[in-house]
Amino acid sequence: MKKIFVACALSALTGAAAAQEDVKLGADTYARHCAACHGVRMKDPEGAYDLLKFPRDQKERFVNAVTRGKSSMPPFGGLLKPEEIAALWAYVAAGGRN
Amino acid sequence: MKSFATALALCVGCCSLAQAQTQQELLADSNGGTTDNVLTYGMGYKQQRYSPLKQINKSTVKRLVPVWAMSLNNDVGEQGQPLVYNGVMYTGNVKQTVAIDVVTGRQIWATPIDWDPAAARIVCCGLSQRGVALYNGKVFVASLDAYLKALDAKTGKEIWRTKVADWKEGISITSAPTVANGVLMTGMTGGEYGVRGFVAGYDPETGKELWRRFMTPDPGEKGSETWPKDDTYKRGGGAPWITGSYDSELDLIYWGTSNGGPWAAKWRPGDNLWVASVVALRPRTGEIVWHFQWTPAETYDFDGTNENLLGDITVGGVKRKALMHADRNGFLYVLDRTNGKLIAGNAYVKVNWAQPHIDPAVGRVEETDVAKRLRAGEKVEVQPRWTGGKNWFPMAFNPKTQKLYFPMTEEASIYQLNTDMPAYKPGERYMGVENTSAPRDKTAPWGYYAALDPLTAKPAWKIPQPEFPMWSGSLVTAGGLVFSGRLTGEFMALDEATGKVLWQFQTSSGVTSQPITFTHKGRQYITVLSGLGGGTSARRETQGKVQVGGSVWTFALMPK
Repeated sequence: MKKIFVACALSALTGAAAAQEDVKLGADTYARHCAACHGVRMKDPEGAYDLLKFPRDQKERFVNAVTRGKSSMPPFGGLLKPEEIAALWAYVAAGGRN
Repeated sequence: MKSFATALALCVGCCSLAQAQTQQELLADSNGGTTDNVLTYGMGYKQQRYSPLKQINKSTVKRLVPVWAMSLNNDVGEQGQPLVYNGVMYTGNVKQTVAIDVVTGRQIWATPIDWDPAAARIVCCGLSQRGVALYNGKVFVASLDAYLKALDAKTGKEIWRTKVADWKEGISITSAPTVANGVLMTGMTGGEYGVRGFVAGYDPETGKELWRRFMTPDPGEKGSETWPKDDTYKRGGGAPWITGSYDSELDLIYWGTSNGGPWAAKWRPGDNLWVASVVALRPRTGEIVWHFQWTPAETYDFDGTNENLLGDITVGGVKRKALMHADRNGFLYVLDRTNGKLIAGNAYVKVNWAQPHIDPAVGRVEETDVAKRLRAGEKVEVQPRWTGGKNWFPMAFNPKTQKLYFPMTEEASIYQLNTDMPAYKPGERYMGVENTSAPRDKTAPWGYYAALDPLTAKPAWKIPQPEFPMWSGSLVTAGGLVFSGRLTGEFMALDEATGKVLWQFQTSSGVTSQPITFTHKGRQYITVLSGLGGGTSARRETQGKVQVGGSVWTFALMPK
């Protein structure tokens, strides 16, 4: 039991650490490619969609929009790797905290 | 003399073509030519946007009604100025160019501009397209992904296309091209992406590039002493993204240049010619004949790209060939357009980064303590905001009243240079600052629409705009009317003498474009594009309050 508990705890910690890395990569990617329109740290978006309001349970919608573009937003699928887009989602879902 | 002879030579070759539109006609546009045509960006090479037409005037404007409207199938904004030649209107947006019958409003042809959708990544401020050029039976248009294209004016079919630049380097084109002295010219944009600004000249018949004049000097070139001695100049900005005005007697075309790259000037010590400047070029060679720098060592995102309106004004009893320019930086300048000397420079909105009056003997702004603290890395409140006292939308000038008509914004920013140098990566923002809007006193007007004396920047009248700033071009007519539009969609005719709204029509979306007026079979028409977008600021204010959707609106007097 103890071993499983430790294993579970370890994997939870590793998972948490991995999630933190995602958010950090997401924050960096966001700052480079998204902040100009969606606002620094998602505050004060200049007429672009307010990402702080993006539903936290619609990852697929987010990934599609970033990859393919939507309305005035150009497609980023040709520029960003899937891991970077996933990291962006981690950052947005975390509400801009990192 | 030289340009006249050249014009004659060209005219002999092409006057015979029915659909042709000649150098002579271009020179005569708003300069003695027929009011049936609008052949140039700015309604005349001088870009005064003044019409001698009087059919629509202060008494008759109450009968002004829409006579047709046409959808432009676009929700990212309309900024264009239509052109008219022989009863056909040429206009469009970032997505397409269209030819329209001016009487019926029926489409004659439509040609998609067809650009790489990924290029929108390197456009800072909206998917804008400000117009086309006409010459010798061709319509010239630039694409967002930095191509220049020639279409057959009769059919809209593409005749040639030429690559101006690689958009992946952060370069795009949002301005109307222009043809002057037989040369087709375009500027470009990308000041936020560490580009090296340039104007390029092409053969209108073939699209072959004739010259490219960079807006930062080569090492060793005169002006390079205002840059560090490394390759900083290659990412220095100075992108000219508004169509140049032209004086055909002097044979000089005047282009304004954008902010510096990166935004934070501390990484490029020096005045940085010819960033945030006006340059006077020869159309045939691109040679810089003179320059004037609006904002030396520019670090505020005060693009110097606003239009350079040419007019003759009386200064101390003497008629002077003037160039008038309302800069982003909050100053209204009057230069001698023969040599670039400063005649007058005064703030037209609240400024706190420089003293509000420029001494013509000094010829240069005097920065304040606010500017010093900003350059030293402190977080400061700057007036005007980086989007400027006035942005790209062009002003109008009445040569009879010698007044300028345009909307201005009163706004401040919170601005700070970052401590670290930004990393340059092609196609990515190259800034080095943090900038946000300062909280605004919502009881104060956000801006004004005013009639200004160019020499003093003092208003003859000033109408507060409480709800939103205005973001529209202007037109002034001999009928005593000034036309402009609001972000909330009203297209208005103001009494030129008082600013009172004498007429307005609620168009389908916000007005951020450039109205024109012309005649056809003796009837005067006014046309404006309606369609919110084209600028992040214009969208910011009206988000959720005004619908998007572009269309052309044409008005004329209802018969009695």
